[in-house]
Order: sequence, then structure tokens, then C-alpha cells
Amino acid sequence: MDSLITAAARALAAGDPLGALKRVALRDDAPALALRGIAMARLGDFTRAKELLRRARRAFGPREAIARARCVVAEAEIALVSRDLSFPRKSLAAARATLAARGDALNAAHAGYLEIRRLLLIGSLDAAERMLDDLDPAPFPPALRVGHELVVAGIAMRRLRTKPAREALARAKDAARRAGIAELAAEVESTARLLATPAARLIARGHERPLLLEEVEVLMASKALVVDACRYVVRDSRTTVSLTRRPVLFALARALGEAWPQDVSRGTLIVRAFRGKHADESHRARLRVEIGRLRRALLPLADLSATPDGFVLEPHGRREVTVLALPVEEEHAAVLAFLADGEAWSSSALSVALGASQRTVQRALDALAATGKVESVGRARARRWMTPPVPGFTTTLLLPAPLPNG
Amino acid sequence: MKKSEAEIIREYAFEGVESVGGVSFDGEQVWFAAGGRLVAFDPDSGNTTRTLDIAAHAGTAFDGKHLYQIAEDRILKIEPNSGRVVSTIPSPGGGRDSGLAWAEGSLWVGQYRDRMIVQVDPETGKVLRTIESNRFVTGVSWVDGELWHGTWEEDQSDIRRIDPQNGEVMERLEMPQGVFVSGLESDGKDRFFCGSGSTNNKVRAIRRPKRSRA
Repeated sequence: MDSLITAAARALAAGDPLGALKRVALRDDAPALALRGIAMARLGDFTRAKELLRRARRAFGPREAIARARCVVAEAEIALVSRDLSFPRKSLAAARATLAARGDALNAAHAGYLEIRRLLLIGSLDAAERMLDDLDPAPFPPALRVGHELVVAGIAMRRLRTKPAREALARAKDAARRAGIAELAAEVESTARLLATPAARLIARGHERPLLLEEVEVLMASKALVVDACRYVVRDSRTTVSLTRRPVLFALARALGEAWPQDVSRGTLIVRAFRGKHADESHRARLRVEIGRLRRALLPLADLSATPDGFVLEPHGRREVTVLALPVEEEHAAVLAFLADGEAWSSSALSVALGASQRTVQRALDALAATGKVESVGRARARRWMTPPVPGFTTTLLLPAPLPNG
Repeated sequence: MKKSEAEIIREYAFEGVESVGGVSFDGEQVWFAAGGRLVAFDPDSGNTTRTLDIAAHAGTAFDGKHLYQIAEDRILKIEPNSGRVVSTIPSPGGGRDSGLAWAEGSLWVGQYRDRMIVQVDPETGKVLRTIESNRFVTGVSWVDGELWHGTWEEDQSDIRRIDPQNGEVMERLEMPQGVFVSGLESDGKDRFFCGSGSTNNKVRAIRRPKRSRA
């Protein structure tokens, strides 16, 4: 490396991105562009950082494969932190292979974690777990180890396994202390707080109360028949009936679950399932059809009996019936659930993460914005959405040094 | 052109040193640029003998009396005993400079990505001439009328002797893969000393090829 690049890289490593920028601000050669990109990322200007790193990647020569690959990894990390999930996975995988082949095991592993975190973020738990199995965290320095344990904890929490989540968080806390990076420690703390924050709401026998993740895990392992409004399924510890694609049937099941062991009148069921204000004859006919369908769907778990007034749920065996709902129920709860991570999301990233169309997401965001529940920054494609400031939950950048250290 | 593998004779490791930039030799001690300071050590014992708190980002040279050190976009002239900066001149590459050598009353400055070596007047910084290379230039050294420089381009480094008139490569000592050269200086005898960038904290001694004198 040359003199000013060395000086700028030293400033960056010492936590002085402005000092680094000062030294290379007027230079447009590849290493200078890369350093400027990393410095801008450290200063939080992700749009500019991505642009600079893209230019750096193109400016590095064909024989500078390591430097180029590190630029790709840095670009991917910035994309992930700014919730731009459209970053091409193939480039990241190729960069990872290049780094591994050329002996940069550390940055290759870092690239792997970025891919896993992306999978986790979009809810591809199986794929994330498979990739995680291929990584042995033992040789990694503490900072990378924190990332590893957070991913392990993240998967465990989404799989409702609180004990392994707690253990991973304890290891992450230890690694963060050894790394001595305050932001990492804060990230571990905020993840740990999720275990102490209600993850769902329990509605049973007409009463409701918040549930911690651990309690959800206990409930799922119990004999109870659970009408799960977080996942749109009806289940017990052995059998799961998915009603994801049958919202009317789920609305009926939920109404019956909330009232259990009481019955629910036809009128109420019609209002809950069809949102009709008055129950006329055609509604009654339709209700009969839908109840028939629900009865068949729930056959492995419960019976549905007619009462003089309406219907009642009768679970097989002597089971309790409970309804599990999101902690805060809104019309656009799923959108809010993603935004609750405190990051700024683009509507296209939300649409990828939610598996919903951009139009649907945009309508939800507009509705939420109208009531002040979400805010946006930026314009056009750079527009990002977030919930009004909540404490914590940063995603710390562990950007690779872009240069092969000449 | 002669080509051979570089023979690494000895490695000197230094605790608390993150990167090794320029390397020089004052007749007794080897000096190297360690980012925020200049470090001198005895090449026989490997013990550190001096440390000067001076910004040292790239090449280092010695003219028999003063040390020269590239820091940011300047070349500092340093009194070795006191560590006092006697004077400064702008570096010819404006900060894109890497290696530094002293010979025949001139400073020879490697321009890393520009792939060239520039001869400058040490008093004024005036550029006297430039020599092209075809690889990124790291350290630069003159010994017995031979101009040597280190290269580093991605996965491969070498130390090469070039014709100072036209830049033609006369001889190459190839470094093992993954072993990089930053600074370069000879002890005037049978050794070269070179740095290792920020890939580790080592200075290496490499055997200088013997010559049959005409």
C-alpha cells in the first residue's frame, strides 16, 4: 500500500473515519475509493458507501481478486444492514469462494455469516441452519464469534427453543466482552431482551395475558389445543393443521377458540368470518358450508358441534383450548413485526421478507404512516421505513478491511 | 532475465507491531516504519535498539547521516539520535508513494499503483526522472550500483533488479506465495531486509545473489 492509504487505513482502524476521509478525499484510485466507502459506512451514509465500494470493486484490476472480493463482502454487509435484500446472492457466494481459495478464511467466514443472516431475516430457517452447520466457529476471533452465536440464538428463538437460545446468548455475551466492541455488546443485550419481552398474547376462557417466548415454548409442548394466530395454524403437540391459505376458516376457528368452552352464536361467527354487519339468509347458508369445511379440516384435532345458538369446539381428549395471538394486534401487524427490529427497511425488502406484493406492502405502509405508527426517510428508491425510534437494536458493521494490506 | 526463488535466511518478529512498511539500514541497525513510529533493531541479535515516535506510513531511507521517512504525503528528514525532524519536502506522488532509497545524492521513491520509481532532489523535492516498472512498486534499494525494488500485486511478491536506464527487469527473486514484500534495503553485503506490510509483524532477511566481479 502507499503512504496515504496506510495512513487512512490506520485512522479507520483507530475509529477515526473522518481522519481517514481527510487523507483520501480527493483520490479516485481503487484503494482510496474502497477506504472512502468503508469510512462512509462507518459514518452511516450507506447509500454513498455502497456507491463508492461498487466503484472501488470495478477499479481494482483483474489480478486484485482478494481486494475485489472484500469489496463485494462489504457491499453485501451494508446492503444487509440497510435491509436491501435485493443484493445478488451469487456475487456474495462467489466472493466467499475466492476468499476461501486464497487463504482469507476470516473474511470468507464473514461472507458466510452475511448470507446466513440474510436467510434468517427472510425467514428461511432451514437453509440458514444448513449453512450454519458447515461453519466451525472455533478458529474465529471474538467479533466474528459474536455474529455466529447471535445467528444460532436467532434461529433457536424462531424455532421456539429458548434454552439453546439462552446458551448461545451467554456465549455471545462472553465473546462480545473479549472483542471489546461496545456496539456488539449492545446488540447481544438487545437480542437477549427479546427473551424477556412478551412474544405473544394468550387468550383462554375469555381472559388474555402476555406470554414470554419461554412460555410459548411450554404451551406448544403441552397437551393444549392451540389456535395460533401468529402462524395461522391450529395445532397440538403432535398435529398441525395449517389454515394459512384459508383465512375464513381460521377466523371461525379463532372465534370458537376464544369462546371455548362456551359456544359462539351464528351471528357472531358471521360477523367475525365475513365481516358482514347483518346476518341474512345467504350468510347463514355460507356459514353452514364453511363450518362443514372447518369440521373436516379439524378432524384430527377436534369436533365441531352445533348448539341451539351456534357452534362449539370440542377438542379430542380432555384438552384445554387456547388462542395464541401477536402481542399487539393491528391490521398490518406483520409489517410492524418486521419494522420492530429498529432498522430502516425499503418497501421492496419488506415485500421480499413478507412474501407479499409491493402494492400490498405499500398500502400497509401508507395506512400505518397515516396513523403515525411508521415513518419514512428518503425519496423514491432510497426511501426507507421504520418505526418511530425504539431503543437499541443496531446491527454492528464488521466490515472487512478492503485492501490486501500492501 | 535470471529468475530464482528468494531464499529467506531469517525472520524477525516484533510484539506490538501491526504493520511493517519501509525498511532501511544505517550500517549497524535495521530501521523500519511501523505506522506510528520508527523502530531500529540489531540484525544479529534481533533485539530492538531504538524507537522514534514519528508517523511512518511507507518507505524509509538513510543517507549516512539522516533518516528519511515517508509520512502521509511528505518526506521527513530525521536526525536519528534525537528523532528531530530537520526538514520536510512534499513526496513526488502526493501520498501514493511506497518505497524509498538513497543513492548518489538523490532519493528514489517508489510509486505503488503508478508502477514507477521517481528520482528526486532531497533538498527541494524536484523530480529528476522516472523509471517505469510493470508491477506495483513497494520497497526500493540501491546496492553496488544495482537498483532493486520489491513488487506486490495480489497474490505474488518478488524482489527484482532493473536497469535504471530503461526499467528492463534483469533479475527476479520470487517470494513464496502469500509472503509479501513491503520495504526493501540491503546491508551492502549479502543480505536484503524487507518488510511484510500489515499481513504480519515481521522483517525478513533474504540472501542477496552473489556476483562474480568483473
